[in-house]
Amino acid sequence: MTDDLLRAPAEVKYAEELDWLESVDDGPKPFSWRLSPRMVRLFVLGSERSDGLDREISQKWFGDRSFVERSIVTLASDRGLLLIGDPGTGKSWLAELLSAAICRTSTLVVQGTAGTTEDHIKYSWNVSMVIARGQSRESMIPSPIMTAMEQGMIGRFEELTRATSDVQDALISILSEKYVSIPELDDDSIVFAQPGFSIIATANSRDRGVNDLSSALKRRFNFVRIPVVTNRRSEAEIVRFRTTELLRRHQIELDLPPTLLDILLQSFADLRAAAASATSDDEKLESALSTAEQIGVLEDAILHSHFFGDRTLRAETLAGSLVGSLARRSPEDLAILNKYWHGVIEPRSKQDGGPWQDFLEGGRQAIATLS
Amino acid sequence: MSQGTFGALRGQLLDAAAAFADAPSALADILSGMVDDVDRALGEELEIFPVCHHSPASALAMVRRLREKQPKVVYLELCEDLRPLLDELRNCRLPVALQAFASDLDGFPPGSGPLSVVAPITEASAEYQAIAYALDTPGVELVLVDRSADHVFQWLPGERPAEPQAAPADDDTAGHDEDAALHGDAVGVEIGDLRPRFAELEAHLLHHGKVRHWSEWWDQYVEQPLAGADYDTYRQVMVLIGSLFRRLRPAEDDRSSRDEDRERYMWTRMREHLATSGADPADCLYVCGAYHAASRVEQFGLSSDVPYDISPRTGTRWLYGLIPSSQSAIEAQFGLASGSVSIAAATWSKALTRWGVTSFRLDGQKGAAKRAKRAPLPAPAPQGPVTDRLSGFLANPPTLDGLDEAELLGWCVDIVRLARRNGYLASTADAIAVFETSILLAGMRNRARPTPYDFQDAAVTCIEKDVVPGRRDVRRLCEILLGGDRIGQVGYEALPPLARDVYDRLEPLGVDLEKRTIQRALLDLAANPELGPCSHLLWMLRRLLPEDAVRPIMGERRLGERSIQESWDLAIGRHQRSIIELGYEGVTVEQVLEQRLRRTVWAPKATAAVALAAVEDSILYLGSRRFTEELGARAVELLSAERTVDDAPDVLRRIRRLLAHYRATEPALPEWCEAFVTAGYAHYCTLLPTAFVDEETGVRQVAAMLGFLFSMESLALALGCDRAQLELAVQQSHPAAPAKVALLWAARFQLGLMPLAELREQCDELLANPLVIPAFPLYLSGFVQALEPAPALTPFVVELMSKAFGRLPDTVLLPWLPKLITTLRDQAPELVPVLVREAGRTFPAALPAVDTWVPPWSARPRSGPDAAPGRAPALAAGPVADLLAGNPAACDAVAALLGCDGEWRSTVQAGDGPGHGEVGALLALHPETADAVAVLFDHRTVAASR
Repeated sequence: MTDDLLRAPAEVKYAEELDWLESVDDGPKPFSWRLSPRMVRLFVLGSERSDGLDREISQKWFGDRSFVERSIVTLASDRGLLLIGDPGTGKSWLAELLSAAICRTSTLVVQGTAGTTEDHIKYSWNVSMVIARGQSRESMIPSPIMTAMEQGMIGRFEELTRATSDVQDALISILSEKYVSIPELDDDSIVFAQPGFSIIATANSRDRGVNDLSSALKRRFNFVRIPVVTNRRSEAEIVRFRTTELLRRHQIELDLPPTLLDILLQSFADLRAAAASATSDDEKLESALSTAEQIGVLEDAILHSHFFGDRTLRAETLAGSLVGSLARRSPEDLAILNKYWHGVIEPRSKQDGGPWQDFLEGGRQAIATLS
Repeated sequence: MSQGTFGALRGQLLDAAAAFADAPSALADILSGMVDDVDRALGEELEIFPVCHHSPASALAMVRRLREKQPKVVYLELCEDLRPLLDELRNCRLPVALQAFASDLDGFPPGSGPLSVVAPITEASAEYQAIAYALDTPGVELVLVDRSADHVFQWLPGERPAEPQAAPADDDTAGHDEDAALHGDAVGVEIGDLRPRFAELEAHLLHHGKVRHWSEWWDQYVEQPLAGADYDTYRQVMVLIGSLFRRLRPAEDDRSSRDEDRERYMWTRMREHLATSGADPADCLYVCGAYHAASRVEQFGLSSDVPYDISPRTGTRWLYGLIPSSQSAIEAQFGLASGSVSIAAATWSKALTRWGVTSFRLDGQKGAAKRAKRAPLPAPAPQGPVTDRLSGFLANPPTLDGLDEAELLGWCVDIVRLARRNGYLASTADAIAVFETSILLAGMRNRARPTPYDFQDAAVTCIEKDVVPGRRDVRRLCEILLGGDRIGQVGYEALPPLARDVYDRLEPLGVDLEKRTIQRALLDLAANPELGPCSHLLWMLRRLLPEDAVRPIMGERRLGERSIQESWDLAIGRHQRSIIELGYEGVTVEQVLEQRLRRTVWAPKATAAVALAAVEDSILYLGSRRFTEELGARAVELLSAERTVDDAPDVLRRIRRLLAHYRATEPALPEWCEAFVTAGYAHYCTLLPTAFVDEETGVRQVAAMLGFLFSMESLALALGCDRAQLELAVQQSHPAAPAKVALLWAARFQLGLMPLAELREQCDELLANPLVIPAFPLYLSGFVQALEPAPALTPFVVELMSKAFGRLPDTVLLPWLPKLITTLRDQAPELVPVLVREAGRTFPAALPAVDTWVPPWSARPRSGPDAAPGRAPALAAGPVADLLAGNPAACDAVAALLGCDGEWRSTVQAGDGPGHGEVGALLALHPETADAVAVLFDHRTVAASR
């Protein structure tokens, strides 16, 4: 089934692994969870020899172990989980993995936007059926959250802060009373949440100001802040992991030279340091410089060299992609990149030589084309 | 997973060994080697007690062992020269740090000092237990056997590293403030340092142990299981871990060879001691880090007789003292996770009650509740043969503590209360959630009961939201809750003489100097003259201590000023370390100050200005005439040796102040002052022509030189200088820069070589010349600077400035204005009052008067009798002139002496009689006053004649 899908959800993609974990899991499971908390952690973070398992479970999310533990424990308690962090830090991926591991369904998702209404969180009506048969449970369209309640599963709410405050507050009663009442119906008018129901919401800390959460809602969520990965080693691991996956998806045979990966990581680290020391918004790139962004740059370079190049990844192509994806505002971002290229990369290419020289050249060309 | 906690430890260690060993056979070697190490350490004739730093389990095992064995000699892994300090520990509130300090270096590269070594001691440590036992039990000897502080630095490679333990800093250690900086930049030494020697191994253990930092790993895998273990097990496990870390260290490592040297040193010292004291090895206990217990050096063991030459100490003079420390300072120094030492302290006190063990405490130790009188130690129990406990221990699950529900509940309630106080919207619901989450987290992390770390994580999960409302976040609040930071204090008796002296002398203030808060002291010196010495001492401390240790709020100490009331903010308790370190420099504050002043004055880079500042300080703080004169003499020396005049403004300011001070307080100027003035006069005269043309020398410097020359002139001439020297110097000066030309003109005016009219003419010409106008502001700048050397020129400067403002085009004037303003601001005290006063005199005071106002320089007739050059000024007639004309002999004699030919001119004009025209006319017009005076005189005469 996974072959037919452009991107299979985690529970489909790792179905076999999850089945196996379920079969060996003898730990206590809260509510109707399919796996015990320890196995959930193992599924997300991968196995080690000391876990004493017969097969290896790959690591799927890279980051501090305690974040995962705190998230799992929160889902086992009666509070919702709010993952908060910069864009591209893997919040949604973690949410997907957790719900896939806990209830084998990660698709009960509400996407928070300015246009999200209360209907998206509770229920709406199939108008033609209402006209034909009147209001009944059959003519009601439950929202993903309500479905999760009915089935004791994990509901997901992406970009919670993008939804307006009144819509957000619809979650308050769901999270505290754990039921939704349907006043339009005379009987069977309350949908109670089954054990195991919980909500994983994600929020972007960059747009936090858009629609701030009310304190009533805040206290019904446990916040887990996911920081941008700055550890070189784990970042390299993430980039490699995600890129291999992408390459497999595109069925591209291309190997990723470690020196180029190093160049990519180093330039992101430099740019992050520059952004941290900038005093105004004009002096830093608009991009959050997250790990996801790096993966994007690499993917772009790989696709470019696969379809338009000689099927080997070159430093020039990488530089072009980097400039292309980071220069969003003209002239601010271009000016920063130009400064970076001439102030940092040029001396480095003189000192270290090697692929840095090609990287310098490629970047120069890209900047020249864009400006 | 059912193998229990030590099973987990074994798994961890084996995994680590496997991961870092090169080949499968290497693994076997390591494993058998580890067992050998344990065997060897435990089989040693001298009983080795392996410890780990800040480990309550070590301390607990130590207490038990000491009670059981009651050794007669305790050897401790600690710098041997710190031994005398240990007796002073009882006067302190722990944690404090033993410090060795050296500033007079001999044998170390110059510039590497001051050197400082600190060894912090906390109450929850095995070493403190050993120290307390040994010092308070009669007949027990405590011997420190590790290398001396001198060797610590001798053995440090090359450049002195900032931190010998380059441990990875934990991400959350940054937030801690000044308490973490209590040790300054000292090098830390610690007993029982037990930590993987390379980052990969530590990372591996942390990763596989599923913990965040080393302290947590240690707590979970070693500390908790060992708390209840018997002595043999404890020893074997500790040596095992020490052995593993030892075997898995990087091959070429400076630290390893240093450690081996230390082991050789320690074993040599112990053998020496045993040989000289004749103690029975069976009655001795050797307390060292587990790492050293697994040593493979050939000097290991009493049976070894391999010699080891202990290198001699350098000639550096080391000073010793105790300084206050804190738990956060220890964490910062040794790269431990923040809060770990506090948690260890909390665990220790809990373990004591749980296991019913009475710890050792030094008699009179401050900072804890008094204990009932100590029961005498029971008779020592004989030690049986060492049996293998390790294998059984690693295989069997130990009994673990159950959940201490009451304690956890207490924590949850308290953290919510604390969070509310810090601005969080936390409620009872959160307390419940924290409780539940802690237990869930502990379960997920395979722990029977939540550790403080689990609790901390749970509290962060449930209470921390998107923003931190107050100053502290939940993580920090948890640390505070779990014991918080403890800051030690060095007791009075343990202080160096200087610090004790300071405390004694400040006692009349009635302020508790031991408190760590800022205390306000009010000194009414008029009403309580006995507080004078306190105030004096405070001023000296102000000069010597860091900025905020003592801070005057009201009152000043400057030459010629004496405050009648003073108010001070004292933070001496918080800056105890600074005072103690001051004690290394001398016995009293005065002595330290004297030494420092002497050192600055004799430093190779000292200048005359620095020396004058030292003289001032010496007058202000020390009041020793002899010393002041010594400094003054040095100032003269420095001045004559100086080749630049950069400091001239400073020198001028200071010497003026000092002269004013001496004139006001002493009948005669001290010799050095006279020498300084004459030397300065000659010196500046010599340098003047060069300074005028030298581009590097600023206008201000030249102005200050001229200021010195003119304002000290009378004094210098009185002391035998020759004015001709100055005149020649001015004549030799040919500056090109406009500002300096103006200065030269001013100097010539001051010397009488250039009359005002000529000066004015020159300036008017400049203003009239369109080619020079752009440079005119520069001339003006020179004149502004000339205000100081030639104050008589002030009206002219005001005039010139008015003209400039009136006539210069904006394009010239505006760019110069900021410069004028900054110059005036920089030198405000000297220039502004003079200028403003003169301007006030010149310009009309009210707005309406401006319309009709004519500047005095325009109103003055161009060719008045004063202005005509070349003509001798008219003599004023008067009684003096009359007297001189009547008795010309004295004047003639003086004239003859000076070689002047003069002629007497008649002052009497038109036979006006003895009076003056104007006065006479006035008196004739208004005779009443004169009549009244005459009547008065008449009366007097009559009265007198009666």
